[in-house]
Amino acid sequence: MFRRQVVLLVGILVVSAAASALTLLWHNEPLLGLDLQGGVSVRLTASEPATEEMLDQSVEIIRNRVDALGVAEPEISRTVDGVMVSLPGVDDQERALELVGTTAELRFRPVCEVLPVAIAGTRGSEGSGNMAAEPFASCNLVRGGTIRPATGDDGLTPPEADIAEDFVILGGSGTGSTGGYRYVLAPTVLTGDALEDADADFIDFRWQVGVTLEKGAAGIDVFNDASARCFRGDESCPQLPGYTNGLIAIVLDGEVITAPQIRASGFERDRIVISGSFEKQEAEDVALALRYGALPVELVAENTRVVSATIGQDSLDAGIVAGLVGLLLVALFIVGYYRLLGLVAMASLAVSGSMLWSIVAHLGTQSGLALTLAGITGIIVAVGVSVDSNVVYFEHLKEDIRDGRTARSAVDRAFPIAFATIVKADTASLIGAALLWWLTVGAVRGFAFYLGLATILDLVATYFFMGPMVRVLARTSWFAQRPSLFGLPASGAVVRPELKASTP
Amino acid sequence: MIAVLRGLYAGETVIDFPRWWRVAALASGIALLLSLGSFGLRGLELGIDFAGGTSYEVAAPDASVSDARSLLSRFGADGARIQVVDGDMIRIRSDIDDPARAAEIRDALSTELGPVETFEQVGPTWGDEVTDKAVRALVVFFLVVALYISARLEWKMAAGALAAVAHDIVVSVGVYSLLGVEVTPATVIAFLTIMGYSLYDTIVVYDKVREMTGRLGATERYTYTELMNLALNRVAMRSINTSVTSALPVLSLLMVGSVALGATALREFALALLVGIIVGSYSSLFLAAAMVARLKEGEQRWVQIRSKLAGRGLLDGPTRTIRRDEASAPDSRSSESPGRSKGPARRRPAPAARPGGSGSGTPPRPRKKRRN
Repeated sequence: MFRRQVVLLVGILVVSAAASALTLLWHNEPLLGLDLQGGVSVRLTASEPATEEMLDQSVEIIRNRVDALGVAEPEISRTVDGVMVSLPGVDDQERALELVGTTAELRFRPVCEVLPVAIAGTRGSEGSGNMAAEPFASCNLVRGGTIRPATGDDGLTPPEADIAEDFVILGGSGTGSTGGYRYVLAPTVLTGDALEDADADFIDFRWQVGVTLEKGAAGIDVFNDASARCFRGDESCPQLPGYTNGLIAIVLDGEVITAPQIRASGFERDRIVISGSFEKQEAEDVALALRYGALPVELVAENTRVVSATIGQDSLDAGIVAGLVGLLLVALFIVGYYRLLGLVAMASLAVSGSMLWSIVAHLGTQSGLALTLAGITGIIVAVGVSVDSNVVYFEHLKEDIRDGRTARSAVDRAFPIAFATIVKADTASLIGAALLWWLTVGAVRGFAFYLGLATILDLVATYFFMGPMVRVLARTSWFAQRPSLFGLPASGAVVRPELKASTP
Repeated sequence: MIAVLRGLYAGETVIDFPRWWRVAALASGIALLLSLGSFGLRGLELGIDFAGGTSYEVAAPDASVSDARSLLSRFGADGARIQVVDGDMIRIRSDIDDPARAAEIRDALSTELGPVETFEQVGPTWGDEVTDKAVRALVVFFLVVALYISARLEWKMAAGALAAVAHDIVVSVGVYSLLGVEVTPATVIAFLTIMGYSLYDTIVVYDKVREMTGRLGATERYTYTELMNLALNRVAMRSINTSVTSALPVLSLLMVGSVALGATALREFALALLVGIIVGSYSSLFLAAAMVARLKEGEQRWVQIRSKLAGRGLLDGPTRTIRRDEASAPDSRSSESPGRSKGPARRRPAPAARPGGSGSGTPPRPRKKRRN
């Protein structure tokens, strides 16, 4: 019996110490929610009924856009009727909102020049005299230096200057065959509106992208006009060194997705085929980008939340200070009231606390589950519940001792009874937490999760640490002789003779 | 007061709870009427998460409320609520739920007044969704907890517990309605926490009641109410301790949130919690217990005991106190008949297992007075 208690005690201490050690070793740290470190969260809903597939694609597209922001833990997920974007710690909040909110436009632009990637340290330049350009403006304007597109330090036109009617310099999309080049592009001749469909086909043992355009003046006619110019190398779409014909770039979100060479002066039907050395995946990606050039559905920002980093830091500090001060007050009270047993209660809290920290840090690092202000309040609330488990047991102990038991026998007897009460009460808390987790949204959910977690850990710490610890303490001679040290009443009524005899 | 606490600390029966139940019922009745009345007449001040709208917090130490108001009126947002928090932060709440207009105002605020520290915009339908979900969660929660308590304890206790919880929620909502404090998601969390505390507390109290009625009910010497009174006195110290230890972290949230740092959300949250903890402990000891006593006294078994005792003239005057030596008497005969030990909490200590008694079955020597 006694050995079992010691085993439990050593077991839980080893487990919690190991968990803490691993947390430190792996550099796991809790991931802070956006209310604690600042950031942006936007809940977008589709303005018209959307299929799951459309929403999934929207998630992908937004994720790609957001990756450019360099957020550590972007959380982008599909909801029932839209997309939820959460970007904790994002620096440029304005840009984040723009990227997430806008539906980007797909643009067809003739290519004036293909340049290598800018050398590091290139100085950006203000754009000059860019305003007069119109569709099919001559590339000589930009090649001759009459018009200089605005560029940033990377030699590319920054997003805010990427205007459809201007000459721009844009990079290829990182992964595809256009990556590694800068494209000097003429004003837009056609937008994604002209596109009807696009798909990847396997024809003649090659992967190709078939594109269907709108009929008539809204699509194919304009495209044929452009392709005629590019085919013959007109100055609005010049033939470039290394190519036999002009190129038309397809641009999405400021990146050149693909820049096919125009091999025919016109297309009879409304269908054009982009062939090239596509891998299967690449062809599918291009087709996807074309098809859903913009997002597949229009998304409207239903909820927006922006928290600055300063406010986040303030809230975090407030939460931590409040937690520590609260803990100190509880410690003073409980140790003042229960003396050594109070210390056991605080140690029990430390055990469950260290396990909670390890789990929160692990979930934060591995699963991207963020700790929010609501979560912190859930934990602070759980401190009260946790200490109560100790109070229930200690009060039971006192009661039994007053009923005439020796301290040691009361310890053995009271624990199962008190623990049953604790389990009943904790189960009710757990039921509440679980239901809230399943049935609600947002902040309440975070609260429920951490409340539930802390409640379970309270049960663990009570059963494996607090109970055994008190029983081990009960073996000491102090326990029977100096009950006031443990905040217990003197069990003067029934001091066993042998114990009396052992006192000198 | 000190004497009562000292008595409770020593585990003596010093409070006549049943006598206070009537007072408590009256007080709670008035509180419920006030709450419902205020809720019906004034309603709740719903935050933007439920009503839709926009909120901004602008760090603008030099700007005044009228600066902000004139800026907002340019955008046709005259009805906005503007207040200065912590001296240097302007908090604005308006009912604009159009994202484009909300963003325009945000830009104007940040260029003209100061950096916008927080910005929140909520569409009109979102609030309904959140409210629907919360209400559904609440209903399911009540049902499941009722089933759980019925299974682990008994249905009469489930009814008492839920009535107490409902009381706590209504009173808390009433306080919010009367004071006109804004209801935010944090408020909802606070209400849920209150529910959790109250329920937890009630279950601990009921468990003690069952222990007492199980042990002493079979002697047929006490009414249910008297046994309830004994249990309540024994569990009162725990309730006080738990309330104190639960309230301390909340108090520190309140202090830190309002004095040290500018986390106003924490302050409002903590206030709701503090009220809830106090009301929750009160309702467990006074309302939940009274209701169960009422229901149980209607049972045939307890009616018989009561009439038998009344016939002997034992039930006149205040509730009889059960002395410690009576309460800890061995109950070798039987315990409360229907209680075929549903939970592990029930136990029937065999006399032989008693400490000190060398197997003779003598009850432990009663102790009349604590020595220190």
